[in-house]
Amino acid sequence: MAIDLQVLDQTIRSSFPVSHLEIEDQSSGCGENYAIVLVSEAFEGKTTLARHRWINEVLKNEISQMHAFSQKTFTPKQYAAYLAKGS
Amino acid sequence: MDHLANLYQIDSPDQFRDLLNQDLNRVSLINFWAPWAEPCKQMNQVVSELAKKYQQLLVLQVEAEDQPDITESFDIEAVPSFIVLRGHALLARISGADAPALTSAIATYTRPTPSAAPSVVSPPVEETQEELERRMREIMAQSKVVLFMKGEPSRPRCGFSSRAVALLERENVKFTHFDILSDEKVRQGLKKLNNWPTFPQFTVNGEFIGGLDVVTEMVENGEFAEVVGAA
Repeated sequence: MAIDLQVLDQTIRSSFPVSHLEIEDQSSGCGENYAIVLVSEAFEGKTTLARHRWINEVLKNEISQMHAFSQKTFTPKQYAAYLAKGS
Repeated sequence: MDHLANLYQIDSPDQFRDLLNQDLNRVSLINFWAPWAEPCKQMNQVVSELAKKYQQLLVLQVEAEDQPDITESFDIEAVPSFIVLRGHALLARISGADAPALTSAIATYTRPTPSAAPSVVSPPVEETQEELERRMREIMAQSKVVLFMKGEPSRPRCGFSSRAVALLERENVKFTHFDILSDEKVRQGLKKLNNWPTFPQFTVNGEFIGGLDVVTEMVENGEFAEVVGAA
């Protein structure tokens, strides 16, 4: 079953303070393979594992319906540094 | 090929289930194969020899593409693949045309008493939850960095495991591995213990630190160097 991008967006925004959010449908519109970039001050002080676990928990239902899901997380500071590196 | 009393070609999930249900203490070998895969020809011979040698073994031949339900229920990703069961309990899984590993597994599990020297170290057949947990923690601590993967570094059995190995080599990190395809109890037990549903899994100093996505990000944000660098 395909996941609606709007639903994914809203679910994330209702659980995290979002500075920046990117959601890419990597299944060319099929809604089965998403990659997200989430920048949130709520990640401050949390290990990478803790952040990923948190997202996995919030999006548990959505992820269980996807073929693949990947995530990159940043605090606002980390994201600024990442952009400065010009990736 | 002679007709062997203990060897069956499976043509339905019902037949498969009924055969296993006849004796829940019996050890069985399931051979997932395909006629178009060259390595299956040799391994089918090996399986036939094992059926002849071990009359107590129940041997079930499953043509993977004809039996998608059975094949998927065992998470079979490629042929040939072999599953060893006692009743419905999974004892071992062998991926690929690995005749020595298959022969060794059958020899181990059809022996009346625990074996002394199989070429593959077999987990104890009767094991309590606590014993399993202790064993898993020992493996997690077997070296500073342990990679729980499918296959082995020189022959990964999945793309994510392959990338996990590449990551550790790129970061110049010494590590040992554990092939979760060789031990179903550890495979399922670790998912529960580490509360993480997939493999590969990385542990550092006996502690789970994440899967491939997590560790890739940790490398990028410097956390990995900290976690591994700390004595």
